[in-house]
Amino acid sequence: MIKFILKGILRDRSRSLLPVIVVAAGVFLTVFLSSYLSGVFSDMIDLSARFTTGHVKIMTRAYAENQEQMPNDLALFNVSALKSELISEYPDMEWVERIHFGGLLDVPDENGETRGQGPAAGTAIDLLSSGSSEPERMNVRKSLVKGSLPANRGEALISDDFAEKFDVSVGNEITLFGSTMNGSMMFKTFVVSGTLRFGNAFLDRGAVFIDILDAQEALDMNDASGEILGYFNDREYNDLKALSVKEKFNAKYSSITDEFSPEMLRLVDQNDMGQYLMMSENVGSIMIIIFVLAMSVVLWNTGLLGGLRRYSEYGIRLALGEEKKHIYGTTILEAVLIGIIGSLVGTALGLGGAWYLQTYGLNLGSVTQNMGMMIPTVLRAKISPALFYIGFFPGVIATVLGNALAGLAIYKRKTSRLFKELEV
Amino acid sequence: MKLLIILITATFSLFAFTSPDAMEILDKVDRNMSSRNRIFESEMIIHGRRTSRNITSVTYSEGNKQSFTEYLSPARELGTKMLKLGNQLWIYSPSTDRIIQISGHMLRQSVMGSDLSYEDMMDDRKLTEIYSAELTDNEIIDNRNTYVLVLTTKVEDATYFKQKIWVDTERYVPLKQEMFAKSGQLLKRTSLSEVKLIQGKWFPTRIIYKDVLKDGEGTEFTMTSIKFDQNIPDYIFTKAALKK
Amino acid sequence: MGAGLRTWLNVAVLSFAFVVIIFYNGMLDGWNRQGRNDTIAWVTGAGQFWHPGFDRFDPYTFQDSHNLLSPEIVSEVEKKNLSPVLVSQATAFPQGRSLGVILKGIDPEQTILSLPSSALKDEINQDNAIVGKRFAESANLKKGDKLLIRWRDKNGTFDAREVNIAEIFNCDVPEADNGQVYLSINNLQKMMGMQNEASYLVAGENNPVKNPDNWIFRDLSFLLADFDKLILSKRVGASIMQVFLLLIALIAIFDTQVLSIFRRQKEIGTYIALGMTRIQVVGIFTVEGGTHSILATLLGALYGIPLLLLINKTGISFGIGQNMNITLADTIYPYYSLKLIISTILLVILSATIVSYLPSRKIAKMKPTDALKGKLQ
Repeated sequence: MIKFILKGILRDRSRSLLPVIVVAAGVFLTVFLSSYLSGVFSDMIDLSARFTTGHVKIMTRAYAENQEQMPNDLALFNVSALKSELISEYPDMEWVERIHFGGLLDVPDENGETRGQGPAAGTAIDLLSSGSSEPERMNVRKSLVKGSLPANRGEALISDDFAEKFDVSVGNEITLFGSTMNGSMMFKTFVVSGTLRFGNAFLDRGAVFIDILDAQEALDMNDASGEILGYFNDREYNDLKALSVKEKFNAKYSSITDEFSPEMLRLVDQNDMGQYLMMSENVGSIMIIIFVLAMSVVLWNTGLLGGLRRYSEYGIRLALGEEKKHIYGTTILEAVLIGIIGSLVGTALGLGGAWYLQTYGLNLGSVTQNMGMMIPTVLRAKISPALFYIGFFPGVIATVLGNALAGLAIYKRKTSRLFKELEV
Repeated sequence: MKLLIILITATFSLFAFTSPDAMEILDKVDRNMSSRNRIFESEMIIHGRRTSRNITSVTYSEGNKQSFTEYLSPARELGTKMLKLGNQLWIYSPSTDRIIQISGHMLRQSVMGSDLSYEDMMDDRKLTEIYSAELTDNEIIDNRNTYVLVLTTKVEDATYFKQKIWVDTERYVPLKQEMFAKSGQLLKRTSLSEVKLIQGKWFPTRIIYKDVLKDGEGTEFTMTSIKFDQNIPDYIFTKAALKK
Repeated sequence: MGAGLRTWLNVAVLSFAFVVIIFYNGMLDGWNRQGRNDTIAWVTGAGQFWHPGFDRFDPYTFQDSHNLLSPEIVSEVEKKNLSPVLVSQATAFPQGRSLGVILKGIDPEQTILSLPSSALKDEINQDNAIVGKRFAESANLKKGDKLLIRWRDKNGTFDAREVNIAEIFNCDVPEADNGQVYLSINNLQKMMGMQNEASYLVAGENNPVKNPDNWIFRDLSFLLADFDKLILSKRVGASIMQVFLLLIALIAIFDTQVLSIFRRQKEIGTYIALGMTRIQVVGIFTVEGGTHSILATLLGALYGIPLLLLINKTGISFGIGQNMNITLADTIYPYYSLKLIISTILLVILSATIVSYLPSRKIAKMKPTDALKGKLQ
């Protein structure tokens, strides 16, 4: 029976194609939009995770207290040992070092004397090691205005506005002047490999990005780092997981009596992100419910249409003596199959689209071109397990429901009037 | 009895009359502390929140307008030179072979994480140029008799509006200093010790600076050798000397 | 069966899309307006005149960037058309910690900014200060607490004193709060030795001064650039969501349209037989489909107006912007502009009409004779 109906659906395109397309489109839109909405509502969280908080973040207790002052004298020590322990203890996470520092960016003239200078807001990340995820995480490449990412030690990226203001071109040298973690004078000359736009007036006036190893050398922070950020490999913040990682880590490494012992914070422990996370999840789920409802109504409608479209067919089948119950049964079964096929196709397409958005993102192109690093211009989606059923079940149920309602018309038809109706 | 009282008051007033003029004391301090020029090697111990550091340097200075400092240790600082001419400051770093000019607004930043700013280091005018003095008390510090002077600025651009200074009554060397804000708030305290007679001048060779507003142990400054009135070649105080 | 039901389902979904689009954009506009208004009210005023060397993000510039107030400016200050602000770097010492702060001297009589500057008026206690809630939290300060501040005046002379936290204000604009300590401008002028000087002037709505000498005008697009960018990026994200929501509704209309043309061939044939041109018939069907959107607008208005008005009244609470360093009020009240409503109506009608037209084009290709017979084509 199912085989027969399936054959009918596959062979009679007029009966199946449009409904399947509509179901698939509806389900696709729902799945894709849900993933997109989760992405939109989590973009602030995502931004915060990528730039400041990580999914979890390790600092010394003392550093954490004065974080906004970038107190590198209170940085974490023995970072490589700590990191390798972290890697073996939490294999499904990535751990990266970051150093924030202040200072002066000094532009030399041909004699190596100061031609211009301005305050610098420095960030050091792993720019150079092969396969480093940091440039992508920090959106560095997409924020490039001129030049390219550093390819060697001793190269730096600086803010484009600073470069313009002081007439610094790619390939020129600039000197970073500040103090080391111990307070000694720090000088380091870098070759400008490229310029960046941040989309934030403060950073745009004098930010500098350098490789973490250069920073450790320049700031006398051998095997030290201001922060270690931890990221789940699936890129998604998972609060339960973060909590267990945090508790396990702090129990093992952190000590209340030692202000320089490392302490781990979750994303939600920082900057009120917890509240935001909760809110965005709520708003996100409300929006998703709204879309699922809307799609259900649309598919229900499609089901109704399907029943109507085949009004004459049912008439002929009745005329040929088929029982109403049987016709109704096959209609429902057909609707189930169409619903399943359409929902499968739609879910697959939706997941595909979501995966693409999650992995590559959709660049908003000219509208937001060069708005900079700190503004989320690349739309991203977020795949969650819910996506696998959020479109599928409503897709099938609404289709069947629509057909079932429309099919009821079969029972209202009178054999006596059939021929009149079928007269052409 | 009455006579005794009269005698005592008389002695006191006599003492007051013969007690040295505060400005004279200050002038003597200046004469001790300043010279046409000097060359000294020094060691600075900076106590951070976590670690302490030792920095040694040699400084050539002439009057209060020109000075040239070369850092000798630790290895990281070796060869770093600082030139100050008037109110301009240049720093040379051998690792980058760059001369960086520290412009006005940077001068107030701390040097090497110490409790001293670049500007503090550059301001070594004579005390008598900056302050008017008043003798307020006598105290004993480290078993030495001292005059306690209260100095109030008479110029506009003194780093500290008011100072309290304990001057050794024999050697005319300050043994302790307290720096106050205009509001009267105590800001910094220094104690000076290891007073040595060098080329006929008494000179404190060890100074401890402490910023009283901040928690922390402060900065120790020790002059390991000092020579006055040397022949310092002029080129030392030029930018060319930075790159040598 | 169900032509009415189907129409209403279509209309319901479309109306829903319509209301959600207005709501969502209303929220964004509300955020934008509140954010801008708050920033204008707390920080920027109607614009600012800066000393040419002044840069709000470079504290090193503060030391040398201050101008004397000319008599013309002083008279406008008295008329509350301008409000001078003097800015200086300082160090605060809450509980033995040292914390870099920015001292801002403001006129206690000023009315241009919402800062509770009158708390600085106290004549007996000259050292009153006001701070924002967030700074108060980070420095662990309560109203009535003393905060030790050290600064250097224009000559570099150190000075320090305890200020009395006379008021703690709550505002959504991080720029007005983070690391800022407000004193009376006379006080700060005295403290700095910069009598009658200011770093910048905040302009009020009716400020008549246009190009005062030695001041550079910074308009709102300059002062609010970061916020504008944030809103723009949100808008782009929102518009994509709207397109998708609309698409769901439009699929339904498209589907309905395809079916009704399929089922009403006889009718179409009849129209043509009666002498209507094909274009006219296409027109009829297009209008019919498009009518969905009119109904949707009406239906949307029916439940949307009370709903949206209610939200407009109660607002939606977030309460998180401050600590994330963005200007976001605790409660956002959506703002539905006429432009938003009209453009959304047009968008819905236009898109519904287009999807109604697309299937109708088929009519133009029909043979009237076959259509009249109702033959499948």
